[in-house]
Amino acid sequence: MTAQNRDDAPRTATRRPGAVRRFLATPRFFLIVLIIALVVVIGALKPSFFNGPFVIAPLLTSISIFTVVGLSQLVVMSVGHMNLAIGPMAAFGAMFAGMSFQLFGLPLWAGVVVGLLAGAAVGALSGWIIARTGVNSFIVTLAMSFALIGLVPTVYSWLTTGSAFTVKPDGLDVIGRASFATLCLGNVCGTNAIPIIVVPTIVTMAILGYLFTRTRIGRELLMTGSNVQAAELSGIPTSRRIILVHTLSGVLAALAGFLLAASTGSFTPGIGGEFMLQSFVGPILGGTLLAGGYVSITGTLLGITLTLLIRKGLDLFGVGIETLNILLGVILLIALSADRFRLIRTRRTRAAAAVAPPDDTGGDPHPTGPGADKKEEVSA
Amino acid sequence: MKRWLNSFVHSQNLSLGIIVVVGVALLGVSSGGGFFDPISVTTFFTFLAVPILIGLAQMITLSVGQLNLAVGAIGGFASCFAGVIVADLGVPAWLGAIAAVLVGALAGLANGLLVVITRINGFIVTLATMTILLGLQYGLVGTRTISNSEWPSLAELGKASLLGIPVIFWIAVAVAIVLSFCFGHTVTGRRLLASGGNPVAAQLAGVSNDRSVVVAHAASGLLCGIAAFVTMASLSGVNQSVGGDWLLSSFAAPIIGGVSLTGGSVAVLGTVLAATIVRLVDSARAEFQLAPSWVNFVVGAVVLGTVALGRVREVRAARAATTPPPGGTSAGEPTEPAPLGGARILATARPGGADA
Repeated sequence: MTAQNRDDAPRTATRRPGAVRRFLATPRFFLIVLIIALVVVIGALKPSFFNGPFVIAPLLTSISIFTVVGLSQLVVMSVGHMNLAIGPMAAFGAMFAGMSFQLFGLPLWAGVVVGLLAGAAVGALSGWIIARTGVNSFIVTLAMSFALIGLVPTVYSWLTTGSAFTVKPDGLDVIGRASFATLCLGNVCGTNAIPIIVVPTIVTMAILGYLFTRTRIGRELLMTGSNVQAAELSGIPTSRRIILVHTLSGVLAALAGFLLAASTGSFTPGIGGEFMLQSFVGPILGGTLLAGGYVSITGTLLGITLTLLIRKGLDLFGVGIETLNILLGVILLIALSADRFRLIRTRRTRAAAAVAPPDDTGGDPHPTGPGADKKEEVSA
Repeated sequence: MKRWLNSFVHSQNLSLGIIVVVGVALLGVSSGGGFFDPISVTTFFTFLAVPILIGLAQMITLSVGQLNLAVGAIGGFASCFAGVIVADLGVPAWLGAIAAVLVGALAGLANGLLVVITRINGFIVTLATMTILLGLQYGLVGTRTISNSEWPSLAELGKASLLGIPVIFWIAVAVAIVLSFCFGHTVTGRRLLASGGNPVAAQLAGVSNDRSVVVAHAASGLLCGIAAFVTMASLSGVNQSVGGDWLLSSFAAPIIGGVSLTGGSVAVLGTVLAATIVRLVDSARAEFQLAPSWVNFVVGAVVLGTVALGRVREVRAARAATTPPPGGTSAGEPTEPAPLGGARILATARPGGADA
């Protein structure tokens, strides 16, 4: 489930190096190898790792939640933007969901809809400001996160006594905490190692995969990401696409916030506090380009899985959380440097084969600030 | 054109200055004069030093078109590192202070080298080093707080005042003056601005963009180190939360102060004034006993308003630049609709962007 939009796509198509060989060269393949190796190592050293309900199920729960977080970043990355406000947007959406349960007594589905709409609203607001003013998405979403970080706790302190919405409508616990063991067809029940919460995540991945690979809008988003001017000239309403991705990002952030609240059982202002780093790590490890134009949805799942697996492993070995942070930073740097070196090598071999210089979406000659890449190449 | 830009820059500083004066007056009146008594003046300036320093630290990276997400992490790590070597290893306090500054500079240098060597986007590099440093900071101090009684001489310095204003505020002012001089009158400073304004042109003119990036990150880290030292002197102790809330305010000050995000311009005075405004908002919050989260909300709204307004001005400037026969480098991209176009024109047309 990956989608790309590069100038050299037809060329690779004519050469046809074989789907398998191409897959072996992707970051996804390395991630799968790493994940399997880690599972084997952790499982061999700590057999308790394979404990279904107490280790695997919580791990899958957090993978489900953080994959949605990563996807929320992925959709804005597809047009070369970023959203620093994912955490606060998640808190904002979850706040509205919790509010509608507690204050208005809405049923589960209605509360979820309200929460997602709230996320869509703030996302659309960021997108609108970016598209309207042309200000860098980094700064707009940073300011947005300031504003929401200020707003959310204030609203909680107005409306609640303990700074949390705790009323649970029917079905909230099923989404957040139940496993497939509660679902039975006749006498055959599901396993208790897989929580129900994976379902919304899989559905989200499927929808986004469909959007980016099969629909016109998805292609337009990727085209906007790889070259705004070209997209604009080919008649794509880039401003509307930018607003669309930020809205979508808001919706996904709100969904992640809701899922997190469902899994912990209460809606608090602290939701989303650790979303920012993970939201970037997942897609980037999975091969999604920060500069836009290429996304990998399964890669995001794998990237998130790898980081959370490492975290769980460290947990099992009783290593502190600070080591996880150090490792995450180092992994991010190594993964990206490796990517750079691979890119430089392929560029050299291509130059040797006297092919026109490829559209290098990842590498700017002068590493500049966010969003400042690529354009350099276009204008230079 | 240049005159117009100069007056624009000055008018921005003027309006920021007016906001500061009005804010101070309003606070003074609403607190019934309590805002002007020596104790609250001292508090005000004591806790203004760090916002100024980190705002300037961010401004330096913005000047070359980079950004530094690790501002808070560098400062937090440097202060905790110094605290640990003073408290646990018995290193003299003054050596600890120097260590804090050096650690900051080294971390910044590492950022710069990583950006240049790996060619990864500066955003991701500093995001990664931020994570690493946060981990190291927590690893160093864990959950304990190292009290400032471990470094009495520094704590003394934090309380000392000169002309009724805390010494550590004077330190921040001195840093600002030095920085202003560097950007205005030294070759290195001008090179940074050249690289930020137009990397291609700078390269053609013989400026090493790589060097500019490394220098900017190292200087940014150095300022974070100084902020760490100031934190040690002014707070009652250091723990793992030091630096946690620096990131957002480090961007707020330069952006409100009128620094272009695309590089090529600095506004030292504007950054200092903007940091003062944010500090005033915080004081007002304390005065009216509102929740601390209000400050974030107000600052976020102000930043959004500032960037939107600044963008409108840039578009207008770009239009003004293209209607008369275009001079020099801005000729190539008059119809550029993308976010960067207008800013680039402005940045190239403003090699003298250093003010203050």
